[in-house]
Amino acid sequence: MRACVATLCLLAIPLAASAEEPSEAWVAEPTPPGFIVQPTELDGPVFADASGKTIYTWPLHKLRNGYSGETPGKPACYDEVVTVTAGLMSPYPPGIELPELDSRPSCTDLWPPVHADEHAEPVGKWTVIERRDGKLQWAYDEQPLYTSVLDRQPGDVFGGTTRRYGGDSPAFRVPLKPAPRVPPGFAVKTITLGRLLTTNTNESVYAFDGDTATQSNCIGECTLRFRPVLAPALARAFGEWTILERSPGVRQWVFRGKPLYTHALDQESWSQQGSDVPGWRNVFTQKAPPFPDSFTVQSTIAGTVLADANGMTIYTYICGDDSQDQLSCDHPTDTQVYRLAMCGGGDPDRCREHWPYVEASDSESSLSRTWQVLRIDPATGRLADAEQAGAIRVWAYRDRPVYTYGPDQRPGDVHGSGTGEWRAQRNGLKAFWLRDDFMGGTL
Amino acid sequence: MKRRILTLALLLSITGVAYGNEATTLRNGTIGYVMTDLFWAVYQTPNAKEECPNGFNDGPREQFEKLFPPGSKLTVEDTQLRQEIETWHPTPDPDGFVFHEVEGRYSWGLNLDGRVDANDFTHPDGTPGIDNEVYRAVGCIIGFRGPDGVEYIFQNKAIADERYNRMMIELTGVDDLENDDEVTVNLYRGQDNLLKDASGNRVMPGGSQRVDTRWGRSLIRHTTGRIEDGVLTTEPIPEMIMPWMNLSVPSIQIFRDARFRLKLSPSNATGLLAGYADVDTYYKQLIRNDSTHHLSNGQISGISLYKALRRLADAYPDPETGDNTAISTALDVKMVQVFIVHPQEQGETEQNITH
Repeated sequence: MRACVATLCLLAIPLAASAEEPSEAWVAEPTPPGFIVQPTELDGPVFADASGKTIYTWPLHKLRNGYSGETPGKPACYDEVVTVTAGLMSPYPPGIELPELDSRPSCTDLWPPVHADEHAEPVGKWTVIERRDGKLQWAYDEQPLYTSVLDRQPGDVFGGTTRRYGGDSPAFRVPLKPAPRVPPGFAVKTITLGRLLTTNTNESVYAFDGDTATQSNCIGECTLRFRPVLAPALARAFGEWTILERSPGVRQWVFRGKPLYTHALDQESWSQQGSDVPGWRNVFTQKAPPFPDSFTVQSTIAGTVLADANGMTIYTYICGDDSQDQLSCDHPTDTQVYRLAMCGGGDPDRCREHWPYVEASDSESSLSRTWQVLRIDPATGRLADAEQAGAIRVWAYRDRPVYTYGPDQRPGDVHGSGTGEWRAQRNGLKAFWLRDDFMGGTL
Repeated sequence: MKRRILTLALLLSITGVAYGNEATTLRNGTIGYVMTDLFWAVYQTPNAKEECPNGFNDGPREQFEKLFPPGSKLTVEDTQLRQEIETWHPTPDPDGFVFHEVEGRYSWGLNLDGRVDANDFTHPDGTPGIDNEVYRAVGCIIGFRGPDGVEYIFQNKAIADERYNRMMIELTGVDDLENDDEVTVNLYRGQDNLLKDASGNRVMPGGSQRVDTRWGRSLIRHTTGRIEDGVLTTEPIPEMIMPWMNLSVPSIQIFRDARFRLKLSPSNATGLLAGYADVDTYYKQLIRNDSTHHLSNGQISGISLYKALRRLADAYPDPETGDNTAISTALDVKMVQVFIVHPQEQGETEQNITH
């Protein structure tokens, strides 16, 4: 069972919020008693239990040599410590003893099931299923529901993310969200900058500074480059959405007072290329919290990245093990065996040379749930108590330290991106992309 | 001029008017080509008998089985992570496995150093002094061999599929595509998808590409060259960066003294890119773009290959250690004609993009 580090348990960091930055609206739906919708900084509104803890599902995920996750109606996460690898990822075979078995948690140590009492009644997509031990568990769309021990306060989403992940990624737990309140034909995608509004075919939508809710100033040739997103004849205004009749019978969707367009020259899904044209902006249902003031943004060969004060690209570490329960290994409370192997061949000193932590200055402190300052013991990679000698204060994104890469020599270098197993999808480091013009939205 | 007319007439007779018209692709002494194929040149004989008489090299799966026989007690730290540490923190020290280098006499490539040394290859056309030590290292690895090696397929496919890899050459000052004493050669990255035929597979000449002056500024290079009998030979470029993304990881290759030798036509350019590949960059591109799984499918042991690359490196010694940091190489390259659109021709928008 993970220990709760005292300093972190007591900290109460408010959710980043700004009167100028609206948050994402959602489609209300009936829920059983005790469930709420909780705003979050990066993932928008999520379902939470009565205490505000984010609820997650563990969708079935196809891996190279089999599946992990849960099929609808069948919980697979139990209080059993898995001891050997499942061999789900080639080329390493199954049956290999997992690291640090004496302290390895069980699945439910990390992912407590959301239990239902014997009187619980299904509501809409919310149903009750029976676990192997006879206990009842809430499910949504038949997917069993869990909370994460990493989440400490309402609004934390440290157990998983709604960010897109690839087929070779671990079978992640995914926060359960109500549907965003957007018209048919639209979707919302989580990227590092926030919740990006797109069409349902993943085209970014844009707004023009010169427009108003009742007047489009993109006319004539402008519409060859920026195409109005048209509303069907039966569409009606609701909430933050209105309709502009550009010309008789030609109706355009308007969001928060701005008519919406797609950009004809966008080359990839979830593009930001249209925002290069002066006056034009991508549209977000909500923005991600600001990063630390000391950080910078740098142009690279593939887009823009977040960088430290010296312009060196910032990287995040991602790790999931090859057990059947696909436990994470990228949080400071997880085993550090994988990270130390990748960053320094098992040597913490080499790790700090190759992948130094991004240290916070004495004057810097946590900004939001998304960007926090943690105390880390660099000799172990684990969280440190306030008084621990040798501990350093480091910046963390989503509760996990961020790094730079030693061999990067100049601002804009991204030579470390993709370092690690499965192109850094399972045990490795990825650059912190703010804009991706070439990777098809695999930020 | 007479030769030019004859060439044009011949081309029209072969390809028809649509794409073989020099008058339309060579405009104001300028013609552009965009890369569609790029892969390490591997000279192959039937069943590899000539170049790999002792067979092919083992890959990660085969090595894992030999190192950790089934039935023994295994831990993640001692097996999987040990191999990944060797992969990501490589050393030139021997790994205990026999590595089969190419033993044949012939290789594709160019004479990069102007010398004919004892260990040089001979070109299949009889030209001696060919420098291509990358071939010596990878020629007996299945994944690098055509037509179905995993690297051969996927890395080459990515050249056309990924806009990140969209490198182009632009020739200016061209009087004649058959013979010209001096032309200017500019390297740019394009930012657009390729023009393809209705099947979606074949890249067609005649497309257009906007120059990527924002993300691709560091890739721009200029050199000169000459055209003899329709073959362009460029002067070496001190350091060429080739963007090489595969499976969504943006990597690069660095080629020192890079030069092209290309057979030109109004619609295509085909030949070699040769130079000295930076060893560490070469290796990192390979292992970042492909996981151990993908390498396994081509029986490519990154661990063993790194040692071979370091052993066979033949240029640019480190001033402190004396160890060579670069290795001679040649890559097969194919390009199709493209109209290159510069920022000033893209109007207001491109100006904004380059702020």
